[in-house]
Amino acid sequence: MAKEDKNDRYLVDYGEPVGIIAAQSVGEPGTQMILRSFHLAGIESTISTSGLPRIIELVDAKKKPSTPITYIYLDEKIGKDFDKAAETLKKINEVRMNNIAKRVLENFSKGKIKVILDRQELESEGVTIRQVASKIDKALDLESKVEDNGVVVNMHTRNLKEIRAATINMMKMLVSGVEGAGKGTIRRDESTGEFYLVSAGSNIEGIMQVDGVDRTRTTTNDVFAIYRLFGIEAARNSLALELKKTLKEQKISVDERHLNLIADAMTASGTIKGVGRHGLSGEKHSVFARAAYEETLKHLIHAAAFGEVDPMRGVTENILVGKQIPIGTGSVKLVIKKGDMAKIKPQGGSK
Amino acid sequence: MTSKSDHELVPVHELMSDKEVKELLQTLNLTLDGLPKILESDTQAVKLGAKAGQVIKIYRRDGKRENPYYRTVVEG
Repeated sequence: MAKEDKNDRYLVDYGEPVGIIAAQSVGEPGTQMILRSFHLAGIESTISTSGLPRIIELVDAKKKPSTPITYIYLDEKIGKDFDKAAETLKKINEVRMNNIAKRVLENFSKGKIKVILDRQELESEGVTIRQVASKIDKALDLESKVEDNGVVVNMHTRNLKEIRAATINMMKMLVSGVEGAGKGTIRRDESTGEFYLVSAGSNIEGIMQVDGVDRTRTTTNDVFAIYRLFGIEAARNSLALELKKTLKEQKISVDERHLNLIADAMTASGTIKGVGRHGLSGEKHSVFARAAYEETLKHLIHAAAFGEVDPMRGVTENILVGKQIPIGTGSVKLVIKKGDMAKIKPQGGSK
Repeated sequence: MTSKSDHELVPVHELMSDKEVKELLQTLNLTLDGLPKILESDTQAVKLGAKAGQVIKIYRRDGKRENPYYRTVVEG
């Protein structure tokens, strides 16, 4: 005989209002959470939203998190070595022209733009002047030359507007790194001694393309990016994990099954839906349930105009009219088949 | 080369046969639209080549336990 699984003893009974219990289990500790995220000065370079604002962000299914962060894990060999990890970070770090430029000189009469580059910055980002020049040629289709400590771009025109436009474009140009990846830092996992990178951007698609990045573990706090890349199941896992992480940060313990249920409900339609007026609550079947929540008049008028029918099967609408709610014992009904009525003999009657 | 489905956030997805689906719906006493959904354009659905109306079985892990989860493929 198979060993008894203790989990089976604690299965939820039929009719248990799991959704309501989940809502209350998250709602009550939510009152103890900080309302405004505060930051400590110093050490931490990437600050993420935490506490109630983060929970609201997740539950409302915001398209972009207010503080996107990517956790970049590295391949085994690179993750063990700090120098190699730093090298990978250089490949990812977003460096634009105006990050490394010291001075920009526009010579309108000769039609030339000279950019003097900062040697220190170049070194710390691991870029050479030659690379910068070839980037300008390729990305902007211009003609550039390396000159002692800078680059000179020959515009072949004396049109003031054109030269200015080229300068502005050039300063915004990506010199090295991944578009939208932001600036990252190296961190060390205390338990395994492994180095990983934390970057304040959310271009996980781009970061995944970089050599040495472990594509199986690299994650982000941007649930929609996960959804686009890995599909709805990964999104639901990410959503549940983010909720758990945020609550844990605040030292609040909520059973993870409540959070899993919320994540399940939000992703049940195949896309990520918020729980509010525009999401789950706004899609309830019952007119009364929707009217009882928000925008009462809108729903009632719409229902009246289109002749909607309310089958009164939910909780909200039955509370509204004072009927027994379909929860627990209230969710079962007695039905007798037509023919069976005759078979029932009156009790205690004569033979 | 690691493929996208190897990411630790993605559980194993498996396309169910029509017979399996029929049995499943019978035991759960459900119709197809009673199940959670997955879009036809979803990365994992595309990988399996799933068409609308089919069911994808997902092997979710809950600690040591494996909990199957089902999603109907819908258009979109």
